[in-house]
Amino acid sequence: MTHHHTRSIAKDARILIQKAENDQVETVWDRHDAQQPHCGFCEMGLSCRICAMGPCRVDPFGEGPQLGVCGANGDIIVARNLCRMVAAGAASHSDHGRDLVEVLASVAESKASGYEIRDTEKLFRVAAEYGVETGDKEPLRVAAELAYAMQEDYGTRKKELTLTARAPEKRRDLWRKAGIMPRGIDRETAEAMHRTHMGVDSVWQSVLEHSLRNALSDGWGGSMIATEVSDILFGTPAPAATKVNAGVLKADSVNVVVHGHNPVVSEMILVACQDPEMTKLAEEKGAAGINLCGVCCTGNELLMRHGIPMAGNHLMTELIITTGAVDMMVVDYQCIMPSLSKVASCYHTKMISTSDKAHFPGVPHMEFHPENARDMAYEVVERAIDNFVNRGTVHIPVEPVDAVGGFSVEAVLGALCGSPGPLIDAISAGSIRGAVGIVGCNNPKIKQDHGHVTLARLLIENDILVVDTGCAAVATAKAGFKTAGAAADAGAGLRGVCESLGIPPVLHFGSCVDNVRILVLAAALANALEADISDLPLAAAAPEWYSEKAVAIGAYAVASGIYTVLGPMPPVTGSVKVVEMLTSGLEGAVGAVFAVEPDPEKAAVLIRRHIEKQRGKLGLDEIEGI
Amino acid sequence: MKQVIVSPRRCVGCMQCVVACAVAHSRSGDLPGALAESPRPNPRIHVGAGIYHEGFPNRCRHCNPAPCMAACLPGAIYRESKTDSVLVNPDVCINCASCAMACPYGVIRYRPDPLIRSGNTVAIKCDNCVARQHKGLDTACTEACKTGALVFGELDAAMKRETERVARSMTPGPEAWALHPETEPLLAHKRAIVNMNHQEEGRSSS
Amino acid sequence: MKYVIIGNGIAGTNALESIRRFDPEGEIKVYGDETLPPYCRPMISHLLEGVVGPERLPVRSRDFYDKHRADAMLGQRICAIDADQKQVELPTGKTVSYDRLLLATGADPRPVDAEGTDLENIFFMRTEAQVRGMVKRLPDVRRALVLGGGLVGFKAAYGLLRRNIAVTMLIGSGYPLSMQVDETAGKMIQAVLEERGLEVRTGVSVAAFEGNGRVREALLSDGNRVACDMAVIGKGVSPAGRFLPADKIDMETGILVNSRMETSCPDIYAAGDIAECLDIARGYYRVNAIWPEAVSQGRVAGMNMAGIPTDYRGSVSRNVIRIFDLDVMSGGTLDDRDMDDTCRTVVFEDRRRRIYRKLVLKDNILIGFVLVGKIDAGGILASQVQSRMPVMLSDSELASVDLNFATIYSHARYGGTTHTEDAS
Repeated sequence: MTHHHTRSIAKDARILIQKAENDQVETVWDRHDAQQPHCGFCEMGLSCRICAMGPCRVDPFGEGPQLGVCGANGDIIVARNLCRMVAAGAASHSDHGRDLVEVLASVAESKASGYEIRDTEKLFRVAAEYGVETGDKEPLRVAAELAYAMQEDYGTRKKELTLTARAPEKRRDLWRKAGIMPRGIDRETAEAMHRTHMGVDSVWQSVLEHSLRNALSDGWGGSMIATEVSDILFGTPAPAATKVNAGVLKADSVNVVVHGHNPVVSEMILVACQDPEMTKLAEEKGAAGINLCGVCCTGNELLMRHGIPMAGNHLMTELIITTGAVDMMVVDYQCIMPSLSKVASCYHTKMISTSDKAHFPGVPHMEFHPENARDMAYEVVERAIDNFVNRGTVHIPVEPVDAVGGFSVEAVLGALCGSPGPLIDAISAGSIRGAVGIVGCNNPKIKQDHGHVTLARLLIENDILVVDTGCAAVATAKAGFKTAGAAADAGAGLRGVCESLGIPPVLHFGSCVDNVRILVLAAALANALEADISDLPLAAAAPEWYSEKAVAIGAYAVASGIYTVLGPMPPVTGSVKVVEMLTSGLEGAVGAVFAVEPDPEKAAVLIRRHIEKQRGKLGLDEIEGI
Repeated sequence: MKQVIVSPRRCVGCMQCVVACAVAHSRSGDLPGALAESPRPNPRIHVGAGIYHEGFPNRCRHCNPAPCMAACLPGAIYRESKTDSVLVNPDVCINCASCAMACPYGVIRYRPDPLIRSGNTVAIKCDNCVARQHKGLDTACTEACKTGALVFGELDAAMKRETERVARSMTPGPEAWALHPETEPLLAHKRAIVNMNHQEEGRSSS
Repeated sequence: MKYVIIGNGIAGTNALESIRRFDPEGEIKVYGDETLPPYCRPMISHLLEGVVGPERLPVRSRDFYDKHRADAMLGQRICAIDADQKQVELPTGKTVSYDRLLLATGADPRPVDAEGTDLENIFFMRTEAQVRGMVKRLPDVRRALVLGGGLVGFKAAYGLLRRNIAVTMLIGSGYPLSMQVDETAGKMIQAVLEERGLEVRTGVSVAAFEGNGRVREALLSDGNRVACDMAVIGKGVSPAGRFLPADKIDMETGILVNSRMETSCPDIYAAGDIAECLDIARGYYRVNAIWPEAVSQGRVAGMNMAGIPTDYRGSVSRNVIRIFDLDVMSGGTLDDRDMDDTCRTVVFEDRRRRIYRKLVLKDNILIGFVLVGKIDAGGILASQVQSRMPVMLSDSELASVDLNFATIYSHARYGGTTHTEDAS
């Protein structure tokens, strides 16, 4: 009776939504329906809960109160709220980065048994960027010094974050002139909270400026450190075949599902799952083996580096439990719905939380630290094996789909014989019109995967290379766009390039923290052309975003010069001025703007127009009249 | 006579009227106290969601003639002339739900209520805050509403205000939104999403 | 102007009020079989249940007739009327003339064709007096037999179960309330009643009651015997119009009336359970013997009698009942015989929450519904049936337990621009 076809385009999701309903399991869509109508003040960004003189709200229709108790008008309230969203998003990814730096430091001190430096070459390369003398030093020594230098980036003693040096010179100049060059990762977030305190920054424009600086401290700081250190510790991704959707669960095996974002825990779970002793244990319990799968971005981390199968993106996290096949779900942090334990309690699924900063109701907690992670991982997997015998009815709704993941910047450049030259040539020749990063989450407001998949399809059909991350990457993988064969769905030009390189037209760039890989590639292209990122035929889209992290990502993409189209509306419509600034005013300041367009078909038109316009500005051939 | 004037198009769905109504119909009269009461106080106004998830404040219209009053078996529903309110006498109500069948707006609920001393489940509906009105106070929902969706005032004055607004609303922006909220960007955006989700699927479906 | 109203039920009472409002001078005479001031007939089942006392039943005060300057002669059942002479005949043989006559005599319970119905403790359940008689006997009653699974039978059974009396119910059709609800809802109702001790037997009738003065046992048509120390006959009612001249006043099941509540005979009106008028949902004439329609019909008849031309838009059958913690509301028609190929049915079911809804639309106009569980917003559907306006809501919106007026307003506000019909 409910609108299954309005909830998801994915077959596995549709079947499992029906199953959840039959099993009387409440899902995110039910709760979304129950929340209607959403509070309009909050949706418009016009409610302010910052201080105890309030809470306040401003009447968008202009008749009721127009000022909060403190005197802030709608523009200030909207800007402050947006700034705090950016701060929360930046804090999340950057704190994730900090955790990896801490593991790197522990490895350097040999206090993290089970962890090691897997990519020494990258360690040395990044260390050099940080000014760490490498010479003939031991890798662990370099790691110690790099970890220290990175931790300094979190502090406030610098004028500019180290990795901003990767951005084109023009861009850095622009940031300096605009006053948005990020100085310290934690500093910008702390300052965002300070500025938005009552009675501090009360000019909406400067609040927005700081929001961009805060976002940049994430994109060219905390997030970038997260990705780089993950590569150093766990290996830089290279293309590898894998499988995706709920069909990756195996009825006859112990299914361990990792959920969250940080690879520190899941990498160690992987070690335990691959241990033949553990497989033997599983077999003793009557299972065929142990099947490790991922959901969400911790799944993407394993998929990128090890080809571990991916069971689904954000809106699948409840549904895969309803298969009855998940023996253990191990969670770290971010995007883990507090409802999961309730869903798990309807089946035999056990859950374990692992992070000192993320506890969940009804979920047993086993805190992972670098020094105990290995032992903990074995215990978790043993518990999963023990739980196999408790299985009830299992329903795995679909067969899995093939996909290729693992496109780090290093891997892409490797495929291009070491330099961005061939890619630039293809763009110049027009066989590839440009490139677009499709990123971000699922959101129950939008039919699951419809935004991601439709946009990706329309872009590749028009010879635009798509790179994607996070839930978007999982969506297009489920839709079959991540195989070399999918090149057949691309326009003739892109198809030719993909076929000659043997790559899919939609490249999996990693987890959501890995959006920085897109920044790095964009910077490399710009540097090769001696141009700014904002000169390139690039764009970004977050068709189904929901989280504060996505707000920070969108803001650092735009501040880095990338035109960014959002699907769902951020809570800013309460201020015409803020909306105008974000959608047109920023062009003058950072050379890029936001657009909001929930319909992916229309978003594709906006993006194609932008890319062709950029091509024209570069003196390349330009398709007009789109 | 002052009355509650409802402009549904201005409802932003914040539900502050719902909370204010429940508190106004609690024994303690304040939010923390209301939350501690058992049974919990009942809101008499219900904010529903339209097809684009836009809010709609649904309350008793105090119809005249009132179908609920005609349908009431024990004669518990009556009109209070001073405030022109349709009220339920909880001591007479037998919880038969005949009024639910008669009310074309679906605004009558059946609950135990902290203001019903008998502890019985009875018909609970908007009472136009008669107790507050008798003390010279405005109705609680209108006091809580910040967008003008619920206003306590003279109908004539409200009509006049609306006419003036029409005259002022020729330019886009908040003035126009007050009259044509569907041109407001957020609502337009929500409509686009709902319509998109309901569209027949093209090739994107797997 | 001389008005005569036969019947002091709610139709006659409302007619009296209307007449007096518009004709302060006219002479009004009311004749009634029952001697009480106007009371709420549907509440006699609450009286049986024990949730209200008899003092709660009157809906008008004792001085009601005086206040309305009406001559009430209660306890007199009119035997005949002479339409040519415009006279009514009293049991005493006396005649009273009228200018305008209202027939609001209601209906009488249908008797059963069985032996021994004259035994004590066998009741009809139509009047306050009958139920008071039942209540008086309850202390001695352990087992009751209820004949019929219609509204009266159901209410008798429910009231007795609430009094902790074991009840056996004989139903001619397959499930209770078959005139009000569909089979699914009927079975849900039956299940709730059975949980509380009701025994249901279908397809059997009573051949004879036996007992020594008082009923002790019933012999069923299948040869079985059922012990009972009370029996309630709920086999439906017949409009109380047998005394009327059939050649002057057109009758089918009830007295046929037009939208002014006029019968085929000049200056004679009919209203309430005796009147047969247009059923809005079904589209044909039907007696819908329910309280709110009796109120409306009485009112409209009174206005027309007083010379204020007023149209009655027709009736819609509807009922709401609460069975322990299960609420059921129905309206319009769910009868297969009223369906044709322009009809479609929308069903929503949530067994866990014991919610069931079925709606029937004909040419996209809602003509019937039954709601089991969560009935708060049922009035929205009832008014939709009454309005005969094409439904703008999608099927899933219409059947949703979260149906609220916001959805309807929203459709009106965005008329024609709505999303497509749900496919699932």
